[in-house]
Amino acid sequence: MASGEAAAQALVAEEDVLRAGMYDMLAGLLARPPRRDLIERVAGLEGDGSEMGRAVRSLARIARGTSESSVEREFNRLFIGLGRGELVPYASYYMTGFLNEKPLALLRADMARRGIARAANVFEPEDNIASLCEMMAGLILGRFGVPEPLSGQRDFFAQHIGAWAGHFFTDLEGAKESVFYAPVGATGRVFMAIEREGFRLAA
Amino acid sequence: MSKENSATSRREFLKLAGVAAPAAVAVAVTGATPAEASAPKSGSGYRRTEHVEKYLKSTRF
Repeated sequence: MASGEAAAQALVAEEDVLRAGMYDMLAGLLARPPRRDLIERVAGLEGDGSEMGRAVRSLARIARGTSESSVEREFNRLFIGLGRGELVPYASYYMTGFLNEKPLALLRADMARRGIARAANVFEPEDNIASLCEMMAGLILGRFGVPEPLSGQRDFFAQHIGAWAGHFFTDLEGAKESVFYAPVGATGRVFMAIEREGFRLAA
Repeated sequence: MSKENSATSRREFLKLAGVAAPAAVAVAVTGATPAEASAPKSGSGYRRTEHVEKYLKSTRF
């Protein structure tokens, strides 16, 4: 973690740092097949009796019993596949039925306005779930400048994530190929509901 | 509901909702990325050195 980010985090409330942690974890698991060190970290997670705690506990339990290569195979079947994977984790696809549609255009305009750019070595459209989680974490912690106020986070979430991410995570939880990714889906689904309620309470 | 009240109820809600667990993971996710990119894998097996990369590129592999 960059030291500038650590300094900025001092200004961010504890619960918001934890929210960013949640987004970072989901981004890390969904952007690419997780490496062994990340799987081991996930295996060490603990949860309480809440719905989130149960989802995280089952994620940890499955992480303990899996391997880097089997998670990678599962990732490829889910998201890459022959032709396409079982799921298509893009906002545009979930919201319009097609890739690279208007939701992506709106996101790109929003990113430009906020000074966020896609990394030079990435070629996927920006509206995939991992990138959006990464952007939410970045907005919360101020990785793109200063920490985004809650109202701005809410707007970004409402426009680009809220309408579809819950459906995606539900699909991931129930996907035919999901083993490790089933509790990832459950965790994401529960977290999206928490985010929605959190933003509602802050309104 | 006043602004302060709503901030407090949101904070309480998030605390109870249990978003705390993955914080430790997140540090690893964000912290590991640059090191992972630069560190060459050790071991005696096949290594994608710069030389090998250049060869693969030349064959459009």
